[in-house]
Amino acid sequence: MAAAATMVSSAGGLLAMLNETHPALKLHALSNLNAFVDYFWPEISTSVPIIESLYEDEEFDQRQLAALLVSKVFYYLGELNDSLSYALGAGPLFDVSEDSDYVHTLLAKAIDEYANFKTKAAEGNDESAVVDPRLEAIVERMLDKCILDAKYQQAIGMAIECRRLDKLEEAIIKSDNVHSTINYCIDICHSFVNRREYRREVLRLLVKVYQQLPSPDYLSICQRLMFLDEPDSVASILEKLLRSDNKDDALLAFQIAFDLVENEHQAFLLTVRDKLSSPKLQPSEPAQSGSSELDSVQDGNATSSEDVQMTDRTQVDMSAPHTDPNEAIYAERLTKLRGILSGQTSIQLALQFLYSHNKSDLLTLKTIKQSVEMRNSVCHSATIYANAIMHAGTTVDTFLRENLDWLSRATNWAKFSATAGLGVIHRGHLQQGRSLMAPYLPQGGAGGGGSPYSEGGALYALGLIHANHGEGIKQFLRDSLRSTNVEVIQHGACLGLGLAALGTADNEIFDDIKNVLYTDSAVAGEGAGISMGLLMVGTASEKAGEMLAYAHETQHEKIIRGLALGIALTVYGREEEADTLIEQMTRDQDPILRYGGMYALALAYRGTANNKAIRQLLHFAVSDVSDDVRRTAVLALGFVLYSDPEQTPRIVSLLSESYNPHVRYGAALAVGISCAGTGLSEAISLLEPLTSDVVDFVRQGALIAMAMVMVQISEASDSRVGAFRRQLEKIILDKHEDTMSKMGAILASGILDAGGRNVTIKLLSKTKHDKITAVVGLAVFSQFWYWYPLIYFISLAFSPTAFIGLNYDLKVPKFEFLSHAKPSLFEYPKPTTVPTTTSAVKLPTAVLSTSARAKARASKKDAEKANAEKPSGAESSSTVTNSGKGKLSDKDGDSLQVDNPADKKAEPEPSFEILTNPARVVPAQEKFIKLLEESRYVPVKSAPSGFVLLRDLRPNEPEVLSLTDTPSSAAANAGGSVTGQQGSASAMAVDEEPQPPQPFEYTSVPDKKECRVNPSIARQGWQECASD
Amino acid sequence: MDPKITELSQLFERFKAAFVRKDFDTCAKFLSQLKVALTEFKSLPPLFEETPNAIQERTLARDIYEHAVFLSVKIEDQEALERDFFQLKPYYTDTHGLQPSTQEQPILGLNLLRLLVQNRIAEFHTELELLPSSALENPCIKHAIELEQSFMEGAYNRVLSARQTVPHETYVYFMDLLAKTVRDEIAGCSEKAYDSLSINDARQMLLFSSDQDLVKYIEEEHPEWEIRNGFVFFQRAKESTPCKEIPSLQLINQTLSYARELERIV
Repeated sequence: MAAAATMVSSAGGLLAMLNETHPALKLHALSNLNAFVDYFWPEISTSVPIIESLYEDEEFDQRQLAALLVSKVFYYLGELNDSLSYALGAGPLFDVSEDSDYVHTLLAKAIDEYANFKTKAAEGNDESAVVDPRLEAIVERMLDKCILDAKYQQAIGMAIECRRLDKLEEAIIKSDNVHSTINYCIDICHSFVNRREYRREVLRLLVKVYQQLPSPDYLSICQRLMFLDEPDSVASILEKLLRSDNKDDALLAFQIAFDLVENEHQAFLLTVRDKLSSPKLQPSEPAQSGSSELDSVQDGNATSSEDVQMTDRTQVDMSAPHTDPNEAIYAERLTKLRGILSGQTSIQLALQFLYSHNKSDLLTLKTIKQSVEMRNSVCHSATIYANAIMHAGTTVDTFLRENLDWLSRATNWAKFSATAGLGVIHRGHLQQGRSLMAPYLPQGGAGGGGSPYSEGGALYALGLIHANHGEGIKQFLRDSLRSTNVEVIQHGACLGLGLAALGTADNEIFDDIKNVLYTDSAVAGEGAGISMGLLMVGTASEKAGEMLAYAHETQHEKIIRGLALGIALTVYGREEEADTLIEQMTRDQDPILRYGGMYALALAYRGTANNKAIRQLLHFAVSDVSDDVRRTAVLALGFVLYSDPEQTPRIVSLLSESYNPHVRYGAALAVGISCAGTGLSEAISLLEPLTSDVVDFVRQGALIAMAMVMVQISEASDSRVGAFRRQLEKIILDKHEDTMSKMGAILASGILDAGGRNVTIKLLSKTKHDKITAVVGLAVFSQFWYWYPLIYFISLAFSPTAFIGLNYDLKVPKFEFLSHAKPSLFEYPKPTTVPTTTSAVKLPTAVLSTSARAKARASKKDAEKANAEKPSGAESSSTVTNSGKGKLSDKDGDSLQVDNPADKKAEPEPSFEILTNPARVVPAQEKFIKLLEESRYVPVKSAPSGFVLLRDLRPNEPEVLSLTDTPSSAAANAGGSVTGQQGSASAMAVDEEPQPPQPFEYTSVPDKKECRVNPSIARQGWQECASD
Repeated sequence: MDPKITELSQLFERFKAAFVRKDFDTCAKFLSQLKVALTEFKSLPPLFEETPNAIQERTLARDIYEHAVFLSVKIEDQEALERDFFQLKPYYTDTHGLQPSTQEQPILGLNLLRLLVQNRIAEFHTELELLPSSALENPCIKHAIELEQSFMEGAYNRVLSARQTVPHETYVYFMDLLAKTVRDEIAGCSEKAYDSLSINDARQMLLFSSDQDLVKYIEEEHPEWEIRNGFVFFQRAKESTPCKEIPSLQLINQTLSYARELERIV
């Protein structure tokens, strides 16, 4: 009560005093009121007009005090706008550093207001709008204070929000750790800056800051420049590094190139490659003409043409020393760099890795094959799809070759997919793609007798093999497209061409495809529509209007659908720029175009988590009249949110309980897409109930999505993975399960073990750049609802999870490093065993089979094998061709199992394991990767996975290479002295490539039903193709 | 003794002298100086610092404000009265340890009266509620309460006759004003109740002694009234409240949209 006793009970007296005539009294009242405003604001609020009039009274010398008082009262009344405007009037009396709720709130408000204002001014290009200088002053005071107090992150956040790039720069430069500050800046820039244009400005500034630093971080600079699409600067940096005397700089350049390649921006990379100036001895001319030569060779043997190119380059390299040693070194390095930039080097290394580490489980496939009913064509082709996905990029086609009879049951479109599946299996096999597919390709002169389905499929397969790296194959595909009138072949060729020329925006190709479109045939038109989109990915070109016009004109739903997706692809990543088009599409009468509009939203705002886009999608998800549009709207959320996977389950959780099965299906796939490869617990919990949904296609979607989420997650880290595998098995074996979910289960088991268990689905590169190919791949993949062959597009989203260390010669040296975690957390799933042959006791020992020691032994064995292979290539290749790669690895596993019972299972699991370059490093494992000290090699950048250039600390010692089964490589001839050996090695490598499988003999059983569409949604559209 | 207090009390003495002389202009001048001087003292509301001379200072300040109140009655300035009263009030309500002032009850009653005159009945009752029940017995306050009751009942004659029984000399001023308030009230009622009145009736009704006064009053306060043929016509604005329309279209739309939303429910 004592405290109460010293308090007035009302501000009435002071308020009355305000009306006094004497200014001294007013002042006294004001200052006292200001002190007591926290308690008496309700009373004061009725007198605000009086105080306001004091503030407006020019004569009154304490106007600012009055303003401050009014501001505080308004603050308490919750009228922040008024409060702010009076606080501004209070001038210096408004103390930024005061620690009170009032000041904090108003500062936040001021900054918001200022940021809003600046944003509006910037977006409306409205120069005339002038910010209230007082507001600006407050914000600046705040910014300066943050910088002074060393709260750089706050300052940066505010500066970015307020578009004060000058302050941003100041904050970054003044911070104590510029590099980490910049990285922080980049992070928030990508996650919080919604306007694309502005983000570019910020990044441009960062590049500028970077370049001013004494030790520029070229890796980051180049990443930023790539985002800004400035190939010139990247090229000049690379050139500078290449011309440096220091070998490390060259390594750095290679590393940059690898990192850039990971982002899969084909057009950009090609420009960089072409911008690199040639050494001053015209060496690159022949190299380039080599590739054009390759283009010109059309029907001949592709392999030989490759060889021609290779020898060209060799000559170039050999001729270099004659002129100037520096130039020669530069030329040599340039050749390597060009190889990397074209993607060939990384694709080749990935291919080798996937091939050598393939751990796919043929037994699973066998089980599937046996349990699938003979006459069920959907499950039959699903098995073929699963096989292709399981072996994606491994070049292992044992399963197909062992089951030719069974395979031949595929007819018509199933045959198309079966052939195209080879493309997935051989994905990235750039050199020999053509010769592999040769038996199925349309023979020159037309009417070669092959089935149009397998011919179309082969063209599609070529596209898959060369996806995003199709320079060598484009011409061939174009010719094939032009020289055929069969719509199935046209369909395949269109898809293939779209894939090969992804995002190149080549006008000639576009015209070719357009001609196909204008034939107005349903099947070919659909392919053409998608293909045009692929070609124009992310260009936001005028062509979209043309496509839209034709979509309105044509009668065929399939064509409209193809075009709708195509249009959506053109606006990939354009964010606000695409708004007009999106608006146009989402307001269309035609549900198929609205459906395309959903894709457009998804792709334009991919990975931005843009609130506006999410709101729009949610709106369509609940309000559109067409189920297709609703489903797609939900699914599209997955694309918008993939940069922030934790969000997705939360956002779609309500939708996943919708009464509408289409919405549930969409929710499942949205989670599958955005959480792919993360094994996120919430995602799994959300999908689990959906896998036993009452509606068949929801189960299908949920199973596929679950597989996408769980890819490469081991049972040890989440027990539900094991449960899911068993569930899949059960569904596949269950006779009474319906076709749809069975198909889902088969595909799911394919995806779960994708790429020989060495790939994951990744939509973001390590630098948080979106991988355009992957995103596009998944977008088209999600179309499999209408057209099963599009399932293969998922292979575009696969990226190998490997640590591949490379030396200066871009070879893989033997190099060990540490994974500081229990091996069982990240090991391969145990191979399934035939229950009759394996006793229960043996199973647990299998867990130990990949313990560190066993692993080491295995690698030693590998090395021995490799060594043994070297001298006698023929011998090893014969072994390989006889037994098949898959078998070999299985046998490895078997022998280990046999060995293992010796070491008792009581032995505790080690808490670490030693990995040998190249090694499988799954994403979750990355944080455990450590490099051994006193190692011979030191990485140029510390990265736990991907391609890493290694600096050799002991360059004089001989190197042990671990991936010695290097197939023909352009870079192979770097060292002159070992030419002979190299030659034999590459010859061996060619032999070692799996032989093309025998051409399948298709028994042609014409069966209309093969032309497939999801059975339960066959209501529309597919009649068109059935009638074909 | 603190020189400041001495100075203040000297000034106050001079003010009181002028007050007795009824030299109100001088008083106002002194009062203004006094008030400014009072702001110097930290012990006064709202700061209440416990300075050594706090009690003395507060008593002095209270005296000054009490005189200020009476002064404003004398110069018939209602606004000043209100101001001074509010400034005085903390001394009654929030300060402890002071001798209760003899002037407290009359001033409180005065304030109540003021509110009554200004027809601020709500505030009147608020003030009343804040008073302790013992204070209600005080003649000054009781007077005000009775007046209010008569006023509410419509017993205007009782209100007017109460002028004779004022408990405090300062109340007279307000009683005169009250008569006017009563008249306004009657005028307002007549306006509602009659279309027209004969001048004679109107004069009686409005308690005027002569027709001239009535005409003058009408001209000043109610120019919209009309005097014709010995009658006063109250021209009420014939604003017939329009019968409320049923927003049928809006309701229909709303219902339809509900139906549509229901169909869309996820």
